[in-house]
Formats: sequence, structure tokens, C-alpha cells
Amino acid sequence: MRLVSLTLRNFRNYPRLELELAPQLNVFLGRNAQGKTNLLESVAILALSSSPRARRESELIGPLAAEATVEASVERHGRPLEMAMRISSEGDRTSKMIRVNGAPRRAVDLPGELQATLFWPEDLSLVKGGPEHRRRFLNELLVQVEPGYGRALAAYRRVLEQRNHLLKRISAGQAEAAQLEVWDEELIRLTAVIGSSREEAVRELGPLAAANQAAISPGERLDVAYAGPPPDFAQALATARSEDLRRGSTGLGPHRDDLVIRIGEQEARSFASQGQQRTAVVSLKLAESDLIERRSGERPVLLLDDVLSELDAARRAALLAQVGSGGQVIVTSVEAEPFPASLIELARVLCIEAGQVSPCG
Amino acid sequence: MELPEPLERLIAELSRLPGVGPKTAQRLAFHVLRGDRVRADALAAALVDLKDRIGYCSRCFNIAEGDLCAICSSGRRDEALLCVVEAPLDVLAIERTAEYRGLYHVLHGVLSPIDNVGPEDIHVPELLERLAESTVEEVIVATNPDIEGEATAVYLQRAIAPLGLRVTRPAHGLPFGGDLEYADEMTLARAMSGRRPL
Ligand SMILES: Nc1ncnc2c1ncn2[C@@H]1O[C@H](COP(=O)(O)OP(=O)(O)O)[C@@H](O)[C@H]1O
Ligand SMILES: [Mg+2]
Ligand SMILES: [Zn+2]
Repeated sequence: MRLVSLTLRNFRNYPRLELELAPQLNVFLGRNAQGKTNLLESVAILALSSSPRARRESELIGPLAAEATVEASVERHGRPLEMAMRISSEGDRTSKMIRVNGAPRRAVDLPGELQATLFWPEDLSLVKGGPEHRRRFLNELLVQVEPGYGRALAAYRRVLEQRNHLLKRISAGQAEAAQLEVWDEELIRLTAVIGSSREEAVRELGPLAAANQAAISPGERLDVAYAGPPPDFAQALATARSEDLRRGSTGLGPHRDDLVIRIGEQEARSFASQGQQRTAVVSLKLAESDLIERRSGERPVLLLDDVLSELDAARRAALLAQVGSGGQVIVTSVEAEPFPASLIELARVLCIEAGQVSPCG
Repeated sequence: MELPEPLERLIAELSRLPGVGPKTAQRLAFHVLRGDRVRADALAAALVDLKDRIGYCSRCFNIAEGDLCAICSSGRRDEALLCVVEAPLDVLAIERTAEYRGLYHVLHGVLSPIDNVGPEDIHVPELLERLAESTVEEVIVATNPDIEGEATAVYLQRAIAPLGLRVTRPAHGLPFGGDLEYADEMTLARAMSGRRPL
């Protein structure tokens, strides 16, 4: 899997950008707030169909413009793939138009075409941060490898939102409790779909992550387990109903899932050193790429946003070992310092300044 | 620059219409301003005429010129079949297939707690009352195959069950997340004839 070229128009601080990418390593250097993350974000949007960081999609559109476009030529299993996304806003509505090889595509059905693993500073909280980081990690992986997962997740969120509103209306005496049943039924069905996808993915991911951890820190045993919804979810949901009504929201379900990450016998979140936690993050991110490769037969594009300077030599080396392993790597960094000279020779190095990309120097 | 009041007012009214944002509303308003007086009169008259002459059928809530709609007053429909749809446009779409000869019931919405819409807001009590004292043997629930449409179908199936009627749902061909109104005729005709029990 490789990104051949990228074209941006009015995307964040890029009024226009046309970029050809090298098949192996691409390095973008730039001071803070010049557009390094924005660049990788545009690629991640094509992979995931939504921005991993924008709160509202309208913030993706550059100043004085009504729409932003992101276009990419991709090579997938040796075949060309043309992807285009137009994000436009009118009033307070933002809409997306997506085309793949010229044919319109729904946003929920886009992930999986351009497969990528994004590793950016936020991910450093993957182990020590809240469970939402780990759910996001699972979702970003699963939408790309499992057709139908994105739809199930979107449907689940919608049903959950409906159910939560209904709980509040029932408590306020505006609706009858019997109305919960139709939403519960859908919630139970979608929980089974999402839960089994997640469970299966974590079962596959665990050994891959453990192998990466052992390669970086010999002797360290990493273990990843899925903490999903209760086994008899329908029963548990029924039992929790009065509690849900009191709180006005749903207490059980995939929106509460987590990953339990252990190093040795200890839970990494509370007991591991910062160094061990970072190794685990790198191992998990690489395992994400490994799993995508296993399922699709091709290494995804690895997007490393400003994380190398946060890592020590061994972890950095593990990530950069991706170069030459068949996968394309796109890295941003403030300084050229984290890159060994041998790698820089292989790389296409460009500099970013205020939304302009040009040869350095 | 501030726009003159009549222009502002038209823009405000137009932007209340679904799918019309402020920019589109402006473009439309200036279009009306630029056009002939006759066109503006015709548009205004059509709007008023619509509200004066068209209402909803007191039995099925389809659009009607009198108390009953053309279908309810036809006398030549199959009164053992009743099809529940979300909107009057769905009636039109199904009628175009010429596959279905039964009656209708138009909900004017779907269950959606987010929008404060419950069964009593979508003519469900009227439907149940109507079914209890009718010759209907089969109810076809043709709500859209999206989340709220499916939830509404399941709700109706449960509410109708005690009456002992057959409840079905149009089967194949309707893509999930799709909209009945936009389904092509062939697909819709096949979906109506290949119903599955709910
Ligand atoms: N919609 C937008 N229009 C114009 N500029 C934007 C927009 N969104 C973000 N920016 C600018 O992008 C810059 C941040 O870019 P970013 O890629 O996060 O920087 P870094 O190089 O540090 O990763 C900031 O200067 C910010 O003002
Ligand atoms: Mg950045
Ligand atoms: Zn009628």
C-alpha cells in the first residue's frame, strides 16, 4: 500500500499543495504550527473518513474558503486507486462528498481503501490515558480491516443516543417505559456485532504486540486482553434498566469497553514505568500495522507525527525498521536529528513552512 | 450593507425550508427579485392555493383534497391489505409501481426520542384504532430501512400483534440506510411483492 501523490486545496493552513511521495521514507521537517500534523491529518482522513482530531469538520476548511478538498493517488496491490474528498460548509452544516475511482462513496464505506496507521503524540496516552483512547485505537483499526464494522459502530452510536434520550423522557414522564424495548433490541444486536469483532481483533493483536515488545525490550512480556460487555448482555441490560433510568444514560455496552494491558503480571496503566508504557504504545501501534497487513496482505502506510523525538533510540529504531520492510513511512519532525544518516539517504526530505512544502535549506 | 426588509424577510422564510442554507436562500430571493412580476405572483398564489386546497386524509393521513384521499375514497382497493409508510411521497413511489392495490397509513415521521417523537406523534393510536375495526388482514410496514425506520417497524409489529393480524416488511432490494422515496420502481416493486413476516 502506498501513497503516490497528495493534493490539498484550502485544507487547514494549506491553500494548495501538490505532493509526490517517495515509495519508502518521506520526512517532513518544520517548526511548530507550520502544518506538519495538518499534512498527516489529511492522509488520515482518507484512511478513516473522518479527522482523528477535528471537533467540527468545518475547522478543516481554510480561511475564506467554502470548501476543502483532499485528493490522493494510491497504489494498492499494485493497482492505482484515485480518492477524492470534498468538505464543504454552508451555514452551520458541513457535508462531505467522497469519490473512489470517480464513483461516489458513503463516508462509512470509505475506510479500508487507503490503509494507514497514524501514530501521533496523543497516542502516547494509549496505555496510561483513559479507556476512550483504547476504544479509539480499536475502532481505527477495525474500520480499516472489517467491512461493515464502521456501519455497525455508527448505528450503535445512533441507537445509544436514541435510547439515552428516551431514558430521560421516561424519567420525566413524557414517554412510556415499554418504548425502550425496540431500542434495546437493536442495542443488543449491534453490541454482539461490535463485541465479537473487537474480541477477535484483540485475540489476534495480542501476540503481535507481545512480539514487538519483546523485540524492543527483551524479556518484557506484554499481554493485551479485551474487556468487553458482560457475556449475557441482554440480561445485564434488563437488570441495569432502573439504574439507567435514574442516571438518564446507558451504563453498559461497547461504549464502555477497554483493553487491559499488562507487562509481566502487572497492569501497565498503573504499575509500568513511563519507559515501559511507551514501549507498549509503540508495540501496539506496530501491531496495528501488522494486523492490517495480515488481513489485507499489504503493509499499511505508517504516519509518524512528531513522535520520534519523544522516544529513545531502541523504540525509534523499532519504528524506523518499518522502512524497507515493504511499507511506506511518512514522518514529521521538528529536527532532522532523530534520523540515522543511513536512513536520511534513502528518504525524500522536505521542509514545511506556513503551509508551503519545499526542498529544505 | 443591510438588505431592505422585504428581501431579508423572504431570505429568512426560504432558509426555513429543509435543505436550504442561508446562501441558497439569498440566491433564490435575488432570483425572484430579478424575475418577472408574473412569476412571483404565480409562486405566491401556488403557495396559498396549496394550503387552502390540500390537507390530510382523515383516515390514512395521505394528502387529500377533501376529507378522504383518492385512495380511501376509491372503493376499488384491496381492503385486506394496508401499507404503513413514513411520508406521502412514499405513497406516490409505491403507487407508481402499480404492484400494490391495498390501502395506506401515513405516519408523517418515525420514532425518534432525540426529536421528541413518540408513537402518539406519528398517528400510531389512529392506526391501531383503524385496524381494530377494519377488514385488514395484513399490514405491510414499509418504513425506510434505516435505524429509526427499523425501530418503528419493530414497535408497530409489537403493537399490532395483539390484534392477530399478519405483519410483514418489504423484503429484498431496499438498501439499508436507503430512502424509499428514491428507490427505483423495479426495486420497489420487487420489495413489495417479496415481503417477509416481521
Ligand atoms: N482551518 C484552518 N485554516 C487556516 N489555518 C489553520 C486551520 N486549522 C489550523 N490552522 C493552522 O495550522 C497550524 C497548525 O498546524 P499543525 O499541522 O498542527 O502544526 P505542526 O506543524 O506543529 O504540527 C496553526 O498555525 C493553525 O493556525
Ligand atoms: Mg503537530
Ligand atoms: Zn386516505
